[in-house]
Amino acid sequence: MSVEGGHAAGAHQRSHPTVRQYLLIGLLLMLITVVELIASYSDIGSLLIPILIVLSAVKFAVVVAYFMHLRFEDPLLTRLFVFGFVLAGAILIALIALFWTDSAISNR
Amino acid sequence: MAEAAHAPSPAAGARHSTTGIDSRKLLMWIFLASECLFFGSLISTYLIFKGDIPFPSPAFITEHMHGGEVTGWFPADRTGPDGTEYAGVLNIPVTSASTFVLLMSSVAMVLAVFGAQNGRPKMMKLWLFATMLLGIVFLGFQVFEFHEFGAEGLNLSTNQFGASFFVLTGFHGAHVTVGVLMLGSLLVGSMRRTGLGPDSGFHVETVGLYWHFVDIVWIVIFTIIYLIPA
Repeated sequence: MSVEGGHAAGAHQRSHPTVRQYLLIGLLLMLITVVELIASYSDIGSLLIPILIVLSAVKFAVVVAYFMHLRFEDPLLTRLFVFGFVLAGAILIALIALFWTDSAISNR
Repeated sequence: MAEAAHAPSPAAGARHSTTGIDSRKLLMWIFLASECLFFGSLISTYLIFKGDIPFPSPAFITEHMHGGEVTGWFPADRTGPDGTEYAGVLNIPVTSASTFVLLMSSVAMVLAVFGAQNGRPKMMKLWLFATMLLGIVFLGFQVFEFHEFGAEGLNLSTNQFGASFFVLTGFHGAHVTVGVLMLGSLLVGSMRRTGLGPDSGFHVETVGLYWHFVDIVWIVIFTIIYLIPA
């Protein structure tokens, strides 16, 4: 497959954000961090952890999409990164499940 | 500041793989995907240990009792079954400041990439320098935090929390240090008469990918370690 024929060509030509847009994204990230902090100090009970996880996921996605330009790159790179991320999530779930089970058995 | 947003032209020395993607960029993304597994394992270890910290020995309690509270054992404030009060070691306001610094370094980095890809070397150098400086400030915060924890009695061998905390945040700090060194080498290279050469946009973008990755790892660490209560 030639360079021109590669599916990267079309995706790579999308416009990147402007300086102003980058600064606005930075401001958004800062605001989300402030909201996270306020939430962590407030008494919102069982809603706290889901809220913090969602806000953290939004920051993560914004940095990956706009600062790392994944939104403007070849979809193959997105699939590659998501694969690594999903695998890391699977490791996390597997390890926690494994140790939780061990702990439950030893407590019987 | 004039703005010009367009997709960067392919690097002069671009080495395309059969996928149509520059093989060096592809390699960097594969590396970052593998780093997800590395940090995923460390975060899992931290979460497992964090939920299962035994109470300290009487000797530790006697040695680290200050003002009616035991320091250097648990991440957050806690009361023991015998009524002993434990003061949490995590200092959220200080870490929030360091998180802010790292987030701003990502903004500076993306502006450096913008400068490099749009033929504006002065802009690139200025923001590369700002990114490096903010990275060093972040490391300063981490050294301060580690020093404070050590003074309170928490180190790698104190308990499971100390071991997993220092390994996780220490490896992240090591990644930031490598990033600062890469930024420094770009900055020194850009000072040469020939600058970073025709591939400058690509070089800065690749280091930028690494730097932003270090930032997103911290976003996760900050939420899991500091914001989610014990």
